[in-house]
Amino acid sequence: MISFIIRRILIMIPMMIVISMICFFIIELQPGDYVSTLLENPRISGNMIIELRAQLGLDKPGVVRYWLWVKGIVTKGDFGYSFAHNRPVGDLIWERMGWTVALALTTIVFQWAIGIPLGIFSARHPYSFMDYLLTFLAFLGLSIPEFFLALILIFWMLSMGATSIGGLFSAQFVGAPWSFAKIIDLFQHIWLPIVVVGIGGFGGLMRVMRGNTLDTLGSPFVSALRARGLSEKTVRKHAIKNALNPMVSIAGMELPNVFSGTIIVAIVLGVPTMGPFFYEALLSHDDYLIMTFLMFIAFITQIGNLLADFILAFIDPRIRMS
Amino acid sequence: MRKILFVVCLLVAFVAFATEFKVVDPMFTPESKPNMGGTLTLRLAGSPQSWLFYGSLDNNAYTVCYNLFDPLIEANPVTNELGPGLAKSWEVSDDGLEVTFHLRDVKWSDGVPLTADDVIFTFENFVMNKYARGNSIDRFTLKGETIRWVKVDDKTLVAKLPYPYGAFFFVTSHVLIYPKHVVAPLINLSDPDSVNKALTTDTPVNKIVGTGAFVLSQYVVDQKVVLKKNPAGWKKDQYGNQLPYVDELVYLIVKDAEVNVAKFLAGEIDYMTLNARDYSNFKIKEREGAPIKVFKALPTGNTPSPVHIAINFDNKDPELKALFRNDAFRFALEYALDRDRIIDQVFNTLATYGDSVYPTNAMWYSKYVDKLRRPYDLEKAEAILDELGLVDKNKDGWREFPSGKVLEFTIIMNNASKSEQDIALIYQEDLKTLGVKLNTQPLDSSIRSQKATGGDFDLCIWAFGTQPDPQLRKAIWQPGGSLYYWHLSLFNKDNPDAPFMEDMTSWETVLWYVWEKAALEMDLARRQHLYYIYQDIYAEMLPVIFVVREMDVRAGSNKLGNMYQTEAGSFVFTNYSVFKK
Repeated sequence: MISFIIRRILIMIPMMIVISMICFFIIELQPGDYVSTLLENPRISGNMIIELRAQLGLDKPGVVRYWLWVKGIVTKGDFGYSFAHNRPVGDLIWERMGWTVALALTTIVFQWAIGIPLGIFSARHPYSFMDYLLTFLAFLGLSIPEFFLALILIFWMLSMGATSIGGLFSAQFVGAPWSFAKIIDLFQHIWLPIVVVGIGGFGGLMRVMRGNTLDTLGSPFVSALRARGLSEKTVRKHAIKNALNPMVSIAGMELPNVFSGTIIVAIVLGVPTMGPFFYEALLSHDDYLIMTFLMFIAFITQIGNLLADFILAFIDPRIRMS
Repeated sequence: MRKILFVVCLLVAFVAFATEFKVVDPMFTPESKPNMGGTLTLRLAGSPQSWLFYGSLDNNAYTVCYNLFDPLIEANPVTNELGPGLAKSWEVSDDGLEVTFHLRDVKWSDGVPLTADDVIFTFENFVMNKYARGNSIDRFTLKGETIRWVKVDDKTLVAKLPYPYGAFFFVTSHVLIYPKHVVAPLINLSDPDSVNKALTTDTPVNKIVGTGAFVLSQYVVDQKVVLKKNPAGWKKDQYGNQLPYVDELVYLIVKDAEVNVAKFLAGEIDYMTLNARDYSNFKIKEREGAPIKVFKALPTGNTPSPVHIAINFDNKDPELKALFRNDAFRFALEYALDRDRIIDQVFNTLATYGDSVYPTNAMWYSKYVDKLRRPYDLEKAEAILDELGLVDKNKDGWREFPSGKVLEFTIIMNNASKSEQDIALIYQEDLKTLGVKLNTQPLDSSIRSQKATGGDFDLCIWAFGTQPDPQLRKAIWQPGGSLYYWHLSLFNKDNPDAPFMEDMTSWETVLWYVWEKAALEMDLARRQHLYYIYQDIYAEMLPVIFVVREMDVRAGSNKLGNMYQTEAGSFVFTNYSVFKK
């Protein structure tokens, strides 16, 4: 098991290097650069354009800039400076990490807490009215664009007379010390991003769980358990435990999606997470910020997969043995 | 005797008080006594990137900084007329080469008095520092020589100009003064690049010390910026109240425009600018009793800017290049532009002809351009194209060059701007009627900018922000400027002040000299006249075709007082002069 873990961690290093090269190459393909996004600014002049490109190193070839960036990370742990903010990109990402992680984890819990039980329920009552209803809702969740759902809910709230729209708090509680009233206000706001982001994932999880459970319930080992006279409750317990195995891998993959896949929704809902910040960096060609964010997502993806493998190996002896 | 002495002391104190406080223009004082206190909540479209005006090129940072810091000279936000700011008065020498400023007896928000050292520190380390991200070297450099600032005493300093400079006061009105005693320790004077890392957004808010109407109180990343009334503020209204009226100004960071609308309608935000498409919805809500006021006015401010269509004189295709340089062809392009339809269909009738960069009420606006506009007339356009030998020989519906190649080109525009795309589609339809094939290519704004300023386009729809003084946009409108992007081959990268004159057309040469002369002209009337000439040449010769200018449409909560329109249609709203009812 230990050699398995060490092997998996060592594999991550060349993977990250290759990913960084591909990311940098793709960013380089994008036309324009940071300075070209400033041309409409009345304070920029022709001389400043040339000067700024030189100061930011944008006049150097991409390969040189990539090498300097990697060198900074390896030798000083420095991920570079944001062109726009004049601050280390690590600090800028860290500032937004708290709410990003909190929302990501809460959303995952929401998806699982709703998706898994409903998936099992559907599988236990296949082709019933409730199964069809849940299937319909799952496909609706999967097919409706999240940003569109967010806009619908926002304007629905407005028509219901809401006095605070979007964000995580009403204006008076943003930045205020924690209090009972602030926690209540948080709950009055946070359900919206959780539901909007979670609804798509919930649909997918529910459908997969339903399929897995149906497969497992029809498998020979379940018939064998029944033949041995085990109670239906015990049979279900064994079947569901087996049906959950593939879900662990899905959870590993879900982690980066929740971190990065909700950019437009976060913009629409005014949620202070990394997604909108990354989107702005993309639009303004803030290269080192983009690169660091992409590397972070790549790292999270690898960590998610690694954790999924550990958990699978832990709960399934067949994987450990192989 | 004691009584007389007392009265004299009182008078002296009154005079001192009166000169050190600035009484704002009557237009910013309400007719009845205003309420003091309360919170004004506005939208900020993104997180500010710095608290240093010169450390970033970010509009959100500018928005906040203009509340925290002041310039020596202030432009009236409605009329753009210049008046005293941190400098209570100034004198210009007879030769126009020296301007002596007398500073107001103002204190920074930490109680330290403002001195001439602060002004000189700001100019030397930020304005004239080529490493400062938002420096203004070009605005304070004339023919390669820079303007120098010399201290006379703590409250007096002199600007020494190498040449008379007509736009000097306007460019000075865009220089916010920073406190030397606070910022100097944060920068490394031997490392000029270090200025960009001063006053970044992670700086503790109590370190942001200014003279503005507000002081920074709180910044919550990506969520809000809170400003409080500056107790050391130096502006007051006609009743003697210290401004601002509100105690707190909150900027909520709302990135999405739709959410901004929702927040405004929910009463979270007090005021917003609208686009023409939203006007009727808001007006209906106002009539239905929503607690809002909706305003529309002729465009009198610097924004919205007029949309223009640029025609690339340096086109890579030799046939198109020759055609685009042909005056008659450009005239035909203007005859084919249906501005009335664009105003009706794209802007919901809330736009006017955009004949010039300047709004019609601006002192620089040439009234003659209205007469030079070529009205929509497809027959005239057709006649010109026929005369140029651009005819449909093979009867396939498209005109051809004499070489047989189809007359076809592409127009690029911002894919985030629905109005730019709609303008292109209307233009495409009309040109199709004429047998001219126009392809449309919406692009991300930064890619559009990159292609345009790289000379890689045929036609380009764009709008540049206007500035109160034409000199501030010289790089765009003077031939040979770095942003004169429709004829970029005139720009001399090695010496931007010496463009390639030999490649200029005759009218471009005239334009170049007009701009040069206007820059050095101190007499306002003569400067105006020179800028009229420049606009007339643009309207006549069409290096770009100005399309339309969107009207000024805004909405505010009816809980706000002292927010109104003047008889001339200008909209009066400043953060320091509105109050909460």
